[in-house]
Amino acid sequence: MLTVKHLAKSYDGEKKSLTDVSFSVRPGEVTVIIGPSGAGKTTILRSINQLIRDDDGEILFDSTDMRQLNRSQLRRARTRIGMIFQNYNLIEPLTAIENVLHGCLGTKSNLAGMFSIYSADEKQEALKLLEKVGLRDFAYQQCRNLSGGQEQRVGIARALMQHPKIILCDEPIASLDPKSTITVMDILRNLATAEGISVLINLHQVDIARHYADHVIGINNGQVVFDDATSALTDVAVTNIYRKDANQEGSLMYEL
Amino acid sequence: MIKPDNPVTLPTQAPTGPHFSIPLRFRDRRRVTILLTLMVLSVITLSTLPLMMPTDFKLSEAVVSFLENIKIMFLQPSLTNTSFMSLLIALGQSILLAFLTTLIGSVIAFFFALASTRRLAPTALILGIQSFMAVIRAIPTVLWVLIYSVVFGLGANAAVIGITFHSVAYLTKVYADSMDELSPDIIDTMQAMGLKKGAIIRQAVIPYLIPSYLSWTFIRFEINFADAIAVGAAAGAGGIGYQLFMSSSFYFNFHEVGVMVYLIMAFAIVLEVISYRLRMMTNSH
Repeated sequence: MLTVKHLAKSYDGEKKSLTDVSFSVRPGEVTVIIGPSGAGKTTILRSINQLIRDDDGEILFDSTDMRQLNRSQLRRARTRIGMIFQNYNLIEPLTAIENVLHGCLGTKSNLAGMFSIYSADEKQEALKLLEKVGLRDFAYQQCRNLSGGQEQRVGIARALMQHPKIILCDEPIASLDPKSTITVMDILRNLATAEGISVLINLHQVDIARHYADHVIGINNGQVVFDDATSALTDVAVTNIYRKDANQEGSLMYEL
Repeated sequence: MIKPDNPVTLPTQAPTGPHFSIPLRFRDRRRVTILLTLMVLSVITLSTLPLMMPTDFKLSEAVVSFLENIKIMFLQPSLTNTSFMSLLIALGQSILLAFLTTLIGSVIAFFFALASTRRLAPTALILGIQSFMAVIRAIPTVLWVLIYSVVFGLGANAAVIGITFHSVAYLTKVYADSMDELSPDIIDTMQAMGLKKGAIIRQAVIPYLIPSYLSWTFIRFEINFADAIAVGAAAGAGGIGYQLFMSSSFYFNFHEVGVMVYLIMAFAIVLEVISYRLRMMTNSH
């Protein structure tokens, strides 16, 4: 499904943000990436759909290397990769259904995008997806009037509108209250189990990872330090993932 | 009851320590420079004021005649040479001049702004457009109208093109600034879904831009109205500015000037009310 090999990235050319990261994601599984702040979790996620251009390695999505694609090929590949964000990144002045419909614009013409032309089927599907995340009644609400949990669910519906093979989640619950956290994580879990979509999630909460993940990848200081089934994630392993290296001490203040 | 080992004794009065005056800012070079500049300017102003006074000038007489003219203008407005209808038509001409230039200017400026925002355009293009627009902005509108009147002759054509020219430069700058304020995450999100550029502009940029687009365009309309009056006088573009120029400088009919000033003021109040309503409307949703 998705295989990442020897990924490396450095933002300033000197300090390595990622050094030789390799892992793979299987269809229908929830894979969670955990690790301390600044370990490179977001960089990994954003490298997969090439929002960040990495320096070296291979990212095989459906057996094509994302790194080798030209602009229009990359654009087409991205239409099958859903992404949800910590800050939801919805277009707040627009309604929930308009935001969901954005998900299908990637495969439509520029003209359709410029004049908001959607077919009846697409609108029907958008409403169905909103129903699926429990927001059918909010379809015509402006997103700026929705709560955080509701916005994130619109974000999920928008990702699903892309008919994605994989959904990348960049700390999807970091700004949510405990109740919304459970709602959102349950939806994501269900997507993997019931629809066979791969879900790759960056998380800070180890207990959530234990509860929802099939597979856990631990990142520390730009390297994979743990890559195994969730059942193997012992307390010792967690401590190891979150340990501080000697050369990281200097950045402690920043991370606090 | 458990007795604490070290019973806490409260101080009977507030502790008095050494009094430092704690500055809220560093004394940086910028503040010193600003202070020095202001001082120099004050000295120049104070020393120039006495020199500026003309020698054969009687302040008391001048003040009296000034107040006399003010009284004629504002307390005794009346029409003698021109009819009220013709003044209304002239006011309408000025308004239309402002409206036309703002409309054309805002449409052209929108595309220039898209091509010069950090979020969507390459740096070279941004620098090119922004510096070109800065040069145009540096020259006042009235001067542009005069420059164009060399090409088109004095009159409405030069006025329309000159005011539009400056409007484009002004609006490009403010539109591009509002686009720059858009979070880069929003554009990233749209690109991550594989949207094409036209779709991103329409679906993500414009919805966020509408409130500031409306308010900036309206501000420019107010500026253009003022410019239309000035240009009517300076470049013979017609409208109420031309009438104002004729009455005040040719016929010295201050009664008529008063009527015109009141007319312009009335329209300015109407504009203010509309712009307030517009802001309320765009902020409410």
